[in-house]
Amino acid sequence: MDEREIKRSLLSVSADAKKIYRLRIQKFKKSHLLYVILFGSIALLQFIAIAFFTKGFLLSRQVLDNITPLDSNVIDAKFDKAVILIVDALRFDFVIPVDSTEHLNNNYHNNIDILYDTFKNGNSHGSSILLKFLADPPTTTLQRLKGLTTGSLPTFIDAGSNFNGNVIFEDNLIRQLSENLNREILFVGDDTWDALFHPFLSNNSLPYESLNVWDLDTVDNGVIDFFDENLKKNDDWDVLIGHMLGVDHVGHKYGPNHFTMREKQLQVNTFIKKIIDSIDNNTLLVVMGDHGMDHTGNHGGDSIDELESTLFLYTKKKNIFRKHDDFTPYNITDLGKNYRAVNQIDLVSTLSYLLGIPIPFNNLGWPIEEIFHSKNDKIKMTKRVLDQLRTYQEIMGISFQDPESNENGRSMNESFFNDIIATGSYELGQKYQSILLEKCKDLWARFDYYSIATGLILLTISVTILILITKLIPSIIVNQMVAEFSPWIVIMCIISNVGFYGIYYVFKQPIFIDSALWCCLLATSVGITVGIFIPILDRYSLTWVFLRFFQDTFSDYWSGIGVAIVLIHALLFTSNSFTIWEDKIVSFLLITFGILTLYEFVFLPKRQSTTALLTATMSEKEGTTSGVSTSVANSNALPLSRFARLMGGYHSIILILSTRLSSLITICREEQSDYCKPTFNLANNYSWWSMTLVFLIVFLMPSCIKGYYNLTSSYQAAAPIWIDLFLKGVLFTNFIYWGLTALENTSVLIDYDMTILKLLISRIIAGFSLIATNVGWLMGPLCIKLNVHNTDVKSHQATILGYTNIYGSEFFLLVINTVMSIVLFNKPLAQISLFLMCNQLLSILEIIDLLKLKENIIGPIILGLLSYQQFFSTGHQATIPSVQWDMGFILSEKIVFPTTHISIILNTFGPHILVALSVALITLWKQPPDVLKPQTLLGRIVSNCGILLIYNTILCLSSFIWVTHFRRHLMVWKIFCPRFIFASLCLIVVQVVVTFGTIGFATGRLIEHINDIFWK
Amino acid sequence: MSKQRKSKQPIKKRVTFSDDTTVTRQSHGHKKDSIDHEHPPVFVRKTWLTIPYHLIALLYYYIYGSEFDSTTLLFCLLPTQVAYLIVQFNKCTIYGNKRLKINYSLLLVSIFASLLLSVPAAIIAVLFGAPVVNKLFETWLLGLHASFLSYPVIYSVFNCDFKVGLWKKYFITIIVGGWISCVVIPLDWDRNWQTWPIPVVVGIYLGAFVGYTIGSYI
Repeated sequence: MDEREIKRSLLSVSADAKKIYRLRIQKFKKSHLLYVILFGSIALLQFIAIAFFTKGFLLSRQVLDNITPLDSNVIDAKFDKAVILIVDALRFDFVIPVDSTEHLNNNYHNNIDILYDTFKNGNSHGSSILLKFLADPPTTTLQRLKGLTTGSLPTFIDAGSNFNGNVIFEDNLIRQLSENLNREILFVGDDTWDALFHPFLSNNSLPYESLNVWDLDTVDNGVIDFFDENLKKNDDWDVLIGHMLGVDHVGHKYGPNHFTMREKQLQVNTFIKKIIDSIDNNTLLVVMGDHGMDHTGNHGGDSIDELESTLFLYTKKKNIFRKHDDFTPYNITDLGKNYRAVNQIDLVSTLSYLLGIPIPFNNLGWPIEEIFHSKNDKIKMTKRVLDQLRTYQEIMGISFQDPESNENGRSMNESFFNDIIATGSYELGQKYQSILLEKCKDLWARFDYYSIATGLILLTISVTILILITKLIPSIIVNQMVAEFSPWIVIMCIISNVGFYGIYYVFKQPIFIDSALWCCLLATSVGITVGIFIPILDRYSLTWVFLRFFQDTFSDYWSGIGVAIVLIHALLFTSNSFTIWEDKIVSFLLITFGILTLYEFVFLPKRQSTTALLTATMSEKEGTTSGVSTSVANSNALPLSRFARLMGGYHSIILILSTRLSSLITICREEQSDYCKPTFNLANNYSWWSMTLVFLIVFLMPSCIKGYYNLTSSYQAAAPIWIDLFLKGVLFTNFIYWGLTALENTSVLIDYDMTILKLLISRIIAGFSLIATNVGWLMGPLCIKLNVHNTDVKSHQATILGYTNIYGSEFFLLVINTVMSIVLFNKPLAQISLFLMCNQLLSILEIIDLLKLKENIIGPIILGLLSYQQFFSTGHQATIPSVQWDMGFILSEKIVFPTTHISIILNTFGPHILVALSVALITLWKQPPDVLKPQTLLGRIVSNCGILLIYNTILCLSSFIWVTHFRRHLMVWKIFCPRFIFASLCLIVVQVVVTFGTIGFATGRLIEHINDIFWK
Repeated sequence: MSKQRKSKQPIKKRVTFSDDTTVTRQSHGHKKDSIDHEHPPVFVRKTWLTIPYHLIALLYYYIYGSEFDSTTLLFCLLPTQVAYLIVQFNKCTIYGNKRLKINYSLLLVSIFASLLLSVPAAIIAVLFGAPVVNKLFETWLLGLHASFLSYPVIYSVFNCDFKVGLWKKYFITIIVGGWISCVVIPLDWDRNWQTWPIPVVVGIYLGAFVGYTIGSYI
């Protein structure tokens, strides 16, 4: 018997019905496209918002790679050799005598006296300078070292610099010394130096681990021993650098007011004494701190205590330095409040002069006045620095046209500059330098509040629009309105673009829209906003919208829970501790949901689930028109059967257990310190047990998914091919790949180069899962089977197996494709986590279906929560160091444009991509084909997608607001800023996948395909 | 129990395990001699008597007196809870229009049941994210606290023929108290009371206090 015939007889479609359905499909196709356009423009609006905010918040600096050449113009070096000692966190009041009882603290005052003593009385045996040394925020060691060596102001992200590699290739003192002058630089101490300057340091250098704050002595003793050894061997080095961490670590561990601080400082004091005694006449000694510390002993921010550090220059040669004759600038009263201070970046030009180094290209500092003994040198050096600054200014394209410079009476034009050059006046030159520095600070170190505000406003508007479209306005009406949106959007975009250009052509445009591109972006966003609001406000009043919002939000229990979860998650960014512990909190929330549903299934309390009732009545109507028996269609309205409750309880328990298990996998962030033990480390990832688990997953994952399919007897036709063949095969190949990697990492016996083999395997998997299976899915793999009993042939009765879940089962195959491609780019423990994620995902879908929450906002919110929980349990944190860069080299050996980027995106945002795809399953899972119209189905999917987007947008908005609020917070660059970047990227990824993947590609194709099968 | 009632009542109705309030409320309508028609036959009287003052005293001792010694607190909790049950809580429990006398053997049984219940309580704590291996004893201690806080309710469950629906809210308030108190755990204040399980112990005490105080009103 022909299957087609059975189908025909089964479904008994009349010609009229066919006609109606053909019309419906046509309508569906049209509105589908319109929905994609609508969501695309909302996505665009959000991207523009993110772009504006990022532009305003992320201070970026253009790093020029130019290197100052070694020219003949170099002034002869005053010294051949230098000893540079950096005492981390050497606050200025540590080194000057303090006698007022008001401030005096014996733990950290008057312990280091050698510096001031030498400075004050030491003219007899050499010359020295002691100055207050002002750092620029952020006062973290890495940033300070960059500033100290390049003479520039490092920002959070230096545009053009590489995230991954740490080595500074920007022109700097160390590089000049090593490359242009061929000096041997010997280094000992904090390994940040090694990370920054590795190629330029001598091979005999001895870096020490710097992050272990609890260890107070190892680094210091290492530095002292190393100096002892090498100070005698004068020929081995030209520049000897030491970086001591003890004082800083005591600060971090105990705070400054602790007796260990005294011990540490006394140790430093004796050490400096010893160095002063042992250097020869031709050596310059530089002792400095890189930053200070606040009263708690921490640093990173911009309080005075953190900024004030120490600079001490010493030589045994006489008449090198010239102090101010009276000691008034060196005023030590009141903790040296009025002591003469120089900028930290001034060190670069100072050392350039003393050691005869070409001034690094990006330098913005000005040589310290005290180092010039003769007037001639001063003029010569002034001219040199001016030359360098002028070149820099010209190449950077910085112009001095603002009123600030006019205050000085003359504009900074060419003639003025020539005047300075001609006279070589130190004071005028310094004026020029300070103006240039201010200008650069303006460009780099100040937040652009207009852009930030624009970003915040645009993102708020986009949330409002999303809430309006997906939640407040019924999807049926959105369906009608969707045709009006796109023309309005297009028209308004054009109008506003023209309008903005016109206005800015006539009037001066605001500074924050500094180029045509930003102007265009702003105009487009305004156009989209207006274009969307016109049709909405045409039908609804604002008061109605507000009323509806409050009614809807607190309408029923589960919506309340959903709103609470979003709010709690969004409010995490109000505190650094909550942001640090986000991983635990997110899984706590997900488990809470699991427990709540478990309670629901066990005790079955009565709820006013209005949405469930609504669903029931609606499907009742649909059911009768489409010829399905009313009992099937109405099953939604019936209370849960005992079996359903049992299944629900089981799924809740699976959800709870999987969440708890996967939350054991964690890569701790630095700030979690002792309270978190990282499990996602190299040893565990490639251990025999995790590889065994990965091997077990090859069989477990398909059989688990199969179990969920069997619930609706959907494990038919395409399902076995996909799950049992494709998934199992890919997982097995994947196991081989990671097995080889584990062998490479752990076994010493194998020295066979497996790169080619591994590349081959990985490319096969990637090609298969990213391309082949998706093409296969386009063909429309159905998971149903006609079950024709032999005895029933005559009566033409047959059952279709998997009929009830025809949408869901087919759609999930696409999710499986994504799982296959994501698994490869995750390390073994993360793969285990992803396996648990599949179970969590399917259990959530079952729970939502059983509790009739398909229309409720809780569904997408829980899925969103799942994506964050899985982000953390796949070995990520919202920090830049935790990005698994090594995953970028799975498909290629070098950084190649698409493959490296795809790998890292799939690795980092894997769970988000999976969830953004599966959000359609909330509607589609267990959705029989002929209950809902294609239009309605699409409307519901869009609404669920919208709620997921709302969730992510609210998180993004909250992180924007709080990162702006905490912009001066100590931890902003370590905690809040990475979280804000992560939130923005999440939103972008989810937006793209939802708009083009879920709505654009998958849903349209699926609904069309299934309706084709049944109604053509 | 549900079977019994079915045979008594001729009116056909669905028996579910859902909130018993509706069931009990309906069955209540038949009793003429009841003074207050609003109340079901099993309930807790709305009096000041149910306020568990001893919990506040214990908390005060825990925070200011014993430097957060959870074990000692537990030993103090047990007798006071028994006393609270006998003197206060049981007197407020009404079962079918009469106050129930204290059943002393049931007191012991309930203590044993509480001990047993501490294991699932600890498991729930672990599921919510409590440390699994290294702080197992502390977690169990927390479970013990939670189960002994619900001791009067456990006794009442036994004493009132397993009408779980009525007593659920007391368990829930204890759990909610613990749930909310988790807020302080991640904060970086470096206080000694932030160590596991002290915040949650305080939370469940507060939750229990609120629960026993307003339990009869919800």
